[in-house]
Amino acid sequence: MKKPTSRSHQVNCEGLSRRSCLQLGLGSFLGGGLVSALRFRSLAASEGAAATAPTSCILVWLDGGPTHYETFDPKPEAPKEIRGEYETIPTGIPGVRFSKHMKRLAGITDKLAIIRSIRHDHGNHGAGNHYMMTGAPTRIPVSCGAFVSFHPSLGSVTARERGAPKGLPAYFSLGRMSRSGGPNFLGARHAPFVVKNDPNQGSFRVRDVALPKGLDGARFSSRQDIRREVDRFLRIQNETAGDPVAAYDEYFRQGHDLITSAQAQEAFDIHREPSTTRDLYGRNSFGQRALLARRLVEAGVPFVTLYDGGWDHHTNLFKSLDTMLPPRDRALAALIQDLDQRGMLDSTMVICLGEFGRTPKINERGGRDHWSNAMSVLFAGGRTPGGQVVGATDRKGYSASRRVLSPENFASTIYKKLGIDPGKILYTPEGRPIHLVSDPTPIRELMG
Amino acid sequence: MSSNVSGSSFPDPDTSRVVRFAARPRPNAPPGKNGFLNLSLLLLVLLSSSGLLAIEEGELKATPATIRLRGQLSSQQVLLTTSRDGVDVDLTRQAEFQPANEDLLRVDGKGILTAIGSGRTEVVIRYEKKEVRIPVEILKGETWLPVTFEQDIQPVLTKLGCNAGTCHGKQRGQNGFQLSLLGFDHDFDFDALVREGRGRRVFPASPANSLLLLKAAALTPHGGGKRIAPAGKHYNTLKRWIAAGLPRTPPETPKLQRVSVFPTERIMRPRTGQQILVTAHYSDGSSRDVTRLAAYQSNESPIAKVGKTGLVQAGPLPGEAAIMTRYMGKFATFSVSIPLEGEIPAEYYRSLERNNFIDELVWKKLERLKIKPSPQCGDSEYLRRVYIDVIGRLPSPAETRTFLSSKDPAKRRDLVDSLLSRPEYADHWANKWVDLLRPNPYRVGIKAVRSLDRWVRKNFRENKPYDRFVHDLLTSQGSTFRNGAVTVFRDRRSPEELVTMFSQLFLGIRLECARCHQHPFEIWSQKDFYSLAAYFAKVGRKGTGLSPPISGSEEYIFTKKGGEVRHPRTNEILPPRPLFGDSPTLSSSQDPRQALALWMLRKDNGFFPAVMVNRVWADLMGRGIVEPVDDIRESNPPSNKELLDALARHFREVNYDLKTLLRTILASRVYSLSSRPGERNIADTRNYSRHYRQRLRAEVLLDGVCDITGIPEKFSAMPPGSRAAELWTHRTASNFLDTFGRPDPNQDPPCMRIEDTTVVQALHLMNAPNLDRKIRNENGRAAALAASKMSPEEIVEELYLLVYARYPQDEEMRAGSSRIPPAGTPVKGRRSAVEDLLWALLNTPEFLFKD
Repeated sequence: MKKPTSRSHQVNCEGLSRRSCLQLGLGSFLGGGLVSALRFRSLAASEGAAATAPTSCILVWLDGGPTHYETFDPKPEAPKEIRGEYETIPTGIPGVRFSKHMKRLAGITDKLAIIRSIRHDHGNHGAGNHYMMTGAPTRIPVSCGAFVSFHPSLGSVTARERGAPKGLPAYFSLGRMSRSGGPNFLGARHAPFVVKNDPNQGSFRVRDVALPKGLDGARFSSRQDIRREVDRFLRIQNETAGDPVAAYDEYFRQGHDLITSAQAQEAFDIHREPSTTRDLYGRNSFGQRALLARRLVEAGVPFVTLYDGGWDHHTNLFKSLDTMLPPRDRALAALIQDLDQRGMLDSTMVICLGEFGRTPKINERGGRDHWSNAMSVLFAGGRTPGGQVVGATDRKGYSASRRVLSPENFASTIYKKLGIDPGKILYTPEGRPIHLVSDPTPIRELMG
Repeated sequence: MSSNVSGSSFPDPDTSRVVRFAARPRPNAPPGKNGFLNLSLLLLVLLSSSGLLAIEEGELKATPATIRLRGQLSSQQVLLTTSRDGVDVDLTRQAEFQPANEDLLRVDGKGILTAIGSGRTEVVIRYEKKEVRIPVEILKGETWLPVTFEQDIQPVLTKLGCNAGTCHGKQRGQNGFQLSLLGFDHDFDFDALVREGRGRRVFPASPANSLLLLKAAALTPHGGGKRIAPAGKHYNTLKRWIAAGLPRTPPETPKLQRVSVFPTERIMRPRTGQQILVTAHYSDGSSRDVTRLAAYQSNESPIAKVGKTGLVQAGPLPGEAAIMTRYMGKFATFSVSIPLEGEIPAEYYRSLERNNFIDELVWKKLERLKIKPSPQCGDSEYLRRVYIDVIGRLPSPAETRTFLSSKDPAKRRDLVDSLLSRPEYADHWANKWVDLLRPNPYRVGIKAVRSLDRWVRKNFRENKPYDRFVHDLLTSQGSTFRNGAVTVFRDRRSPEELVTMFSQLFLGIRLECARCHQHPFEIWSQKDFYSLAAYFAKVGRKGTGLSPPISGSEEYIFTKKGGEVRHPRTNEILPPRPLFGDSPTLSSSQDPRQALALWMLRKDNGFFPAVMVNRVWADLMGRGIVEPVDDIRESNPPSNKELLDALARHFREVNYDLKTLLRTILASRVYSLSSRPGERNIADTRNYSRHYRQRLRAEVLLDGVCDITGIPEKFSAMPPGSRAAELWTHRTASNFLDTFGRPDPNQDPPCMRIEDTTVVQALHLMNAPNLDRKIRNENGRAAALAASKMSPEEIVEELYLLVYARYPQDEEMRAGSSRIPPAGTPVKGRRSAVEDLLWALLNTPEFLFKD
C-alpha cells in the first residue's frame, strides 16, 4: 500500500519549512495570492489526515469523442442505421450488454460502473473537452479548433490541492496534454508534466530527465551551487506583474527535483516490469502508457491523464474501431485487474471518457458525428460500487433520458473521491472568487 | 433614497458605497467652478456623518435630454449623471424619478420610463436637493403597436438565449428545434417557428397554448428551463405576435443601421456602478432604446463586470475593461478605466521626455490611469534587447565592449542603424513571415517550400515595402519552382481557404466563422465571406497537384477565364465584393486578385497597416496593442487605440518601409524603458509603462547557444555552418527547437509558436545531451578558454559578456574567478571549472529572457 507521500519531509513543527515558504512565495505569484497561501498552510497542517485515504485518479481521455453505441451503450433493438454493424455481448450484469469489442471489460463488470446518462450541450471539441476536463462550460462560445482554458482542469486542481509526492510532479499527462488539461489561473506550477516518449519503445526514457552521459551526480550538484550563486536576475515579486520568469523558476525547481529524485527515476523505468505484466497490458503504446500510469500512481502521483487521440470518427467508424477497440479493451481491463491484485484499486480511480458521444444515425461516410446529448463514461476503483449501470439513454440512444447527469456532477464525483471539496471557492490572481464546480453534487451511486 | 429604489427587487450594491466614497476627505480638491459648490457641500455634509467634505459636485445631467415614446408600454432607460471631482458619476439608481402625470408614464427605480397614456408630460429627477426635468412626448400610448417578426421577435429570442450557440442556435439545434445562431437568418427562423413541426410551436387561435410560450415559461418541461415570466414583458410581446397572426416585418420598414451606447467611456472608481444605455438607430433616422434587449459582455470581468440589464460594476482593482454591447448583429463598446488610487500632478506627465509620437500617446494613456513609467534601461540591457529584437542574435563580446565604452550620445541610434543593415536582419524578420506562410513540405513538396522560403527572405533582404510584398504575394503567378510566392496557392487550393488566410494575415480579420454562420461577435456575414472569396475564383492551376508525402512536381498558377463562388445556402453566384468600401472595377480579362490587392492597399483601409504594426509592436514590446495580434474587431478593443492608429498612419506615411517603422519604435523612450517596475506600474501588463520580459524564440536561443559555446549545430538538408534562423522548414529535426516551441506543422494551427516556458525546457537546458556536448566539447569555447593564457578574471569577464552581454559585477567576478584555477595549472581542472560556470550561466533566466 501507499506510504504517506505528501510534503511531510519538508514540514517542520511550525507547519512550514523554509523551503516551503520559498515555494509559498512563488505560489502566491502564480496562484491565488494570500488566499492560496493560507490554504497551502492549512493543507500542510492537515497532511496527516490526508495521508490516510489518498485516492488517485487515472483519467483515460479518448480525444475526439468515443461512440457510446460501439462501446458501453449499444442499441441492438434500434434500426440498422442507428445500431450499426456490431453485435452485442452479455456482461456480468444481468440484462446489460456491451458492444462486441468490449470483451474483457464485459468480463469484469463487477468492478465497473458505467454511466450512460451524462450529457451537456457543447457539441464541439474545444468546448466539449473543456467542459469534461474542467467541470465548467466555456465562458464564451468556442469552436472545434479551439485550445481553450477558462478554468483549471481536474488534474491541475488535484495537483494544487493534493500536492506532489517526493521527487515527482503531482500531475502527469502521458502522450500529450489534452486541450483543456492545463492549470489556467492556478499557474504554471500546476500544469501537467507531459511524457511524450512512447513507453512501448525499447529505448524508452523520459527525455532530459536523466543526466547526460559522463556527468556524475556530484558535478551536477556543484553546478547547481554555482548557478544559485550567479543567478542574480531581478525577480518581480508581485503576482499581478505577470513576470514570466516566475514560471520559469518554478519549472526549474520541478525539473531539478525530477532529476535528483530516485522515486522519479524508478517510476519511469518501465523496463523493471516483468514481461508477463507488460504483455498483459498489451505491447502497444496505449497499453504501456496504462502500465506507466499505474507505476506513477504507485509512486504516489495523485493524477495521471492518459491521452489517446483519434476518436473523432466522422468516417469509417467500424473499420477504425476494429483495430482501436481491442487493445484499449485489453489495456483497461488489465489496468483495473492489476490495480485490484495489488490492493490499489480502492485507492485508485480509473475513468475513461471523451468529450461527448456520437450521433445516432450513421452518416453517409460510415461515421458518426459529434453528439453531446449522450455519452458513456467508465468508472472503476476508488471505492466505486461495481456491477452497476447508472442512468440510461432513450430507446435509440438519442439522449440521456433517465437519471440525467451533468459534467458538473461528474467532476464533483472525482473531486469528492480525491478528497477535494467540489464546492470550494478558488481565487484568481486578481482575487476574484470562482466556484470550483458550480453544482457540487456528486453522482451518489458512485460514492459507495 | 426614494421608495422607488427600496421597492425594487433589483440589487443595488453601490448605494451604500457612494456614501462611503463621498465621505473620504479630500483637502486638496480644487475650488469649485460653479455656484452649486456650496449647495453640494452642504448636501454632502448632511449625507455623511463625518462631515469633512470638499468634493466638487457638478450639475445633474439626464440622458437622453428629451424623450419620445410610441405605443403602449414602450419604454426608455434614462441615466442621471453628475460630475464629481471632474469625473462623471452615474446616479441613476440613487435618484428619485417622479412623472409629472402618473396617468401617462410609469417610472421604476432603475430609471426606466414606460408609456401608459398619450400626451406631453415631463419627468422630474431628484438627487439630494437638486433636480432636473426632462420633457416626454408619448404617441399612441394607449395603443399596442403591431409586433412583427424581424423587428420585435428576433431580438427577444436572442435576448432570452433561445438562439444561442449553446441552445437552439447550435448547428443541429436542440431537441429537434433549430434556430440560426443569434438570429442571423430570419427566413430560416421564421420557418422553424411557424411552419416546421406542422406549426405546433405557435397557435394563433389560442396563443397562450403555443408551445413557444409554454416551453419558454416552463409551463411544460423545457430542457432550457424557465426563460420568461408568464405575463412578463417578453411573454406579452411573443403572445401578441402569435395572436396577430405571426406577421413578418414588412420589407419597407426602416432598417437597423447601427447601435450606439451612452456613455462610450467612463473613468470609474473601484466598486461603483454605471448603467449603460443602448440605442438602435434606423434608416429613417428614428431610434429606440434597446437597453433591455441588448446582450452584454465584458472583456475583463474581474475589472468590470456587466449584468443582463446593462449595469456595469467596477471591481476592486485598477485597470481597464471594454463592455461590448450587441443588438441584432450590431455592436457598440463602452470603455471603463479604473485608475490607481491617489493623485499624480499633471506636471509629472508633462515633464516626461518624448522622443516621438509613441511616447506622447503612451504617456497620455498612463496619465489617464495614473500609472508611472519605469525609468530608462541601462546601456547593456538596451544593447542585448535591441540585438535580439532587430537581428535575432546576441551581441559578441567585442561588440558589447565597443558599445559600452562609447561615450557618443547618439550611440543607441547608430546601433539601430547598423543592425538594420546587417544580413541577419533579413533572416530574423523573414522568419516571422515564413512562420505564418510556410506549408508542410510533406504536403506541397520540398522544392516548392524552399522556393517560397527563398522568395520571402529575398524580399526582406531587398527591404521591399510591405505593401509591395503583400501585393506580389497576393497576385503571384507562375511556377512553384521559379516564383516561390505561388506556393501559397499550391498549398491553399480553394477560394475559401485562401480568403481565410489572407484576411487574417494581412487585415487581422478572422473570417473562418463566417464560412458557416455569422459570428456572434463579428459583423461579417456568410455572404461577405463568399463574396470576398470570389476574388480567388479564377486562380487556375496547371501541372501536377499535390501528391503527399512527396508532392515533388512543379505546378503553375495562372488566371483562368472562368470561375465563380456560390453562396452555400442560396446557391446564388456571388460576384467579388470587398468587405467594406467601394468595389474596384474589374474587367473580365483581369485577374480579380489585382482588384482585391487594390482594395486591401487602399489608403482608407485601416486594417491593412494596423495588423502589421501591431505584429511588429508585439514582437518588440512583448504584447500586442490588440491581442491576439491578428484579431482586429470592434469587440476586441485595442489597449491604446490612438497609439495603434498613429502607428498605422506612420507606417503608411513612410510607404510601408519596415525598417523605418522599426527605427521609429526603437527610438522611442517607451521602447527603452526598464523592465523593473515601480510601485505605480507593477500591475500594468498592457499599457507599456515598463518593458515586458519575453523568453527568447527557439531559433534565437539555439543560435545563441551555438555562438556562446563555439559549436555550431548540424542541420539535415542545410549546408554546414547554417544557423537555425536560416532553416527553410520546421520539419528539420531538432529537439531543441521543438522543446522551445517552434511551430509544429503537424498541429492545428501550424503557425502556432509557444512563447511560454515549460518544465521540459528547463530540463532541456540542464541535461540535453546535445547541449552537454556543446559545453564540454574539446573544440568548444570552454576548452579554448581553459587552454588559453587568460587569467580566471579574464575568463569570467568573457563568459559574462558572451552570455549576458554585460561585465560581471565585482561580487560576481570574485565568486566566479575563485572557482577557476589560474593559468598554468592543469588544463583538465580549469576546463571543467569553466564548463560548469558556463553551464550555470546558460541555465539562468538572465540568459533565457529578453529583459
